[in-house]
Amino acid sequence: MYYGELLLVGLVWGCTYALMALGLTLVYGLLRILHVAQATVFTLGAYVGVLTATQFGSLTLACIAAALTAGLIGPLIYRFVYQPVLNQPPFVPLVASIGIVIAMEDGFRLIFGPYGKPFDHGATLSASYGVGGLNVSAIQALIVVIALALVVALNVLATRTRVGIAWRATVGDRAMAESFGIDVQWMRYLCFFIASVLAGIAGMLIGLLNGLVEPGMGGVVSYKGLAIIVLGGLGNVQGTLIASLLLGIVESFGGVYLGDYMDRDAIAFLCVIVVLLLRPHGLFGHSR
Amino acid sequence: MNLTLRTLFICALLAVCLRTAVAADSIPIGFHAPLTGFAAGDGKSALQGAQLAVQQINAAGGIKGRPLELVVEDDQARADQALPLANKMIGRGLRIVISGSYSAPTRAAAGVFQKAKVPYISAYGLHPDITKAGNYVFRVSFTGEVQGKAAAKFIGDNLKRHRVTLITLDNDFGQSLSAGFRDVASRFGLTIVSERTYAMGDRQFGSVVASVKHDDPEILYVSGYFFNGGPLVAQLRAGGVQAPIVGTEGFDTQDFIAIAKDAAEGVMITTSLDRDSQAPAMRHFIDDYQARYKVPANMVAAATDTAVTVAAEGLRRAGSDDTAKIRDAIAGIRDFDVATGRITFNSHGEVLKAAQIQVIRGGAFHHLATIDDPVLLAPPAN
Repeated sequence: MYYGELLLVGLVWGCTYALMALGLTLVYGLLRILHVAQATVFTLGAYVGVLTATQFGSLTLACIAAALTAGLIGPLIYRFVYQPVLNQPPFVPLVASIGIVIAMEDGFRLIFGPYGKPFDHGATLSASYGVGGLNVSAIQALIVVIALALVVALNVLATRTRVGIAWRATVGDRAMAESFGIDVQWMRYLCFFIASVLAGIAGMLIGLLNGLVEPGMGGVVSYKGLAIIVLGGLGNVQGTLIASLLLGIVESFGGVYLGDYMDRDAIAFLCVIVVLLLRPHGLFGHSR
Repeated sequence: MNLTLRTLFICALLAVCLRTAVAADSIPIGFHAPLTGFAAGDGKSALQGAQLAVQQINAAGGIKGRPLELVVEDDQARADQALPLANKMIGRGLRIVISGSYSAPTRAAAGVFQKAKVPYISAYGLHPDITKAGNYVFRVSFTGEVQGKAAAKFIGDNLKRHRVTLITLDNDFGQSLSAGFRDVASRFGLTIVSERTYAMGDRQFGSVVASVKHDDPEILYVSGYFFNGGPLVAQLRAGGVQAPIVGTEGFDTQDFIAIAKDAAEGVMITTSLDRDSQAPAMRHFIDDYQARYKVPANMVAAATDTAVTVAAEGLRRAGSDDTAKIRDAIAGIRDFDVATGRITFNSHGEVLKAAQIQVIRGGAFHHLATIDDPVLLAPPAN
């Protein structure tokens, strides 16, 4: 049962990582940009979520508001920060991205104050249930269900719709896609929209899980997100999902058995080092 | 239009001159705290506490008629920021400096101030090495070890619980608290069932909660700050952990209660601030803080208020801006009443005072016990 609970904790962590890292891998797949500023979109989602929930008392409304605000900001970051430097070497958009994270962390601090905002679960989400001897809290269940639903929706979009096919075509061969009349610019906006919606929802869910929304909450997730997409093989969606879940579970058990030697974040990077030594293209990447 | 502009310009010039005139007459006190970065919440409280003390002292006539003036710097709670900042303050000719920051930057800066022979007071940095920098460095809070010992005595003697799990924050603060606790645990009949550690950035404690349930202790001793301790306590209770929780002065702020909500009820902490105290110095601080900032007082603010009050007392007794005289005056402070109790410095710049145990009831801190054992709480003397 102890191991069962650790496994559950790891699964929940893995789901939050998946929501965070999927967007990163989608952006990397399309534009070869390491979109570290996803952390800012994530934190914004959390703040919009907590403020809406406090104001209107509805978590559903909060989730929609977080997703839409994040979804609006993502394409704007692409248009005004990345697009002007797309022809530069890859480190240029990366540096711009890191700049946004640093500036906005203190931006959030100036706007919303340094103490963070407590995120009230409400009675429904504070409940916990015994499932097969395991103690599952409503928040844990909610995170797993939402993550699953979003991944399924994304899969349907990518494989069953014309937009999805156009998107994949653009990822595969931009020039060819353009010659078939696909508007590449709109595909990029769409990609940033979807990546940001995922990040915004992840931000709100992690705010709920932590019970607290803080200016610096995106920091850890941003660099861990990078670790995950490297682990999964850069730009590989299935690899990212599996790497997210694996890392969540490794951290959950590692925190117990390696806790005396290294903290949770160190475990993530130990995994990256080991995997890169053994498989330089990531767990599920292919050499190019 | 031209005339208006000229008048404005002259007014501005006059204002600048006037300000310079006042500044020349005032006594500057250096102050650094994490005003940005992850610890900015504590930095804001620290600055407010120091500003309140300056205001109180100036309202009472300052130092022999000269007002105090705070010269504020931001260290971001980072040791690498503290070093250049310390040199900058020394370069400006400051005669006394206060750290309203965490252990890491305070440890780094302490050596610089010691070398320059500028008295330096740590308000709430708990690491033992801070005062080891030398005889110009003082601390007005407990060391982490002493506070950990007070918690062990409280759990063993007052609560009569014996099987303890430690949940330790993996930094200077948490490690020194747990080290003190472990040192004397057996003396108070305590068995440490397990020790779980977590990192500063952690906000999700699922594996710690599962492990604590597995360890099944009678009581938990938890170190941390309000921003990680709040989520930790909330998640422990949500996960079904019923054992009483004893925390530390890092939880001593209303923000902890705002984050942990109902889970905060019944949590006990070791601290120096007694909300129900009738001691005039403590009341003066608690009531004025609430009146000025419209939020309840907290431990960080009380500690910086204390540090400024001690610095002012040193300046008053020294009666000169000779840093050696200021140092000697501070070192000679005995039975001095401040916001954090009655303090006496030992020969190593550490204070002896009673430890307060507060409990959270009805969403507020209240007095539960006082640990006043001069032998157990004796500050380190080496």
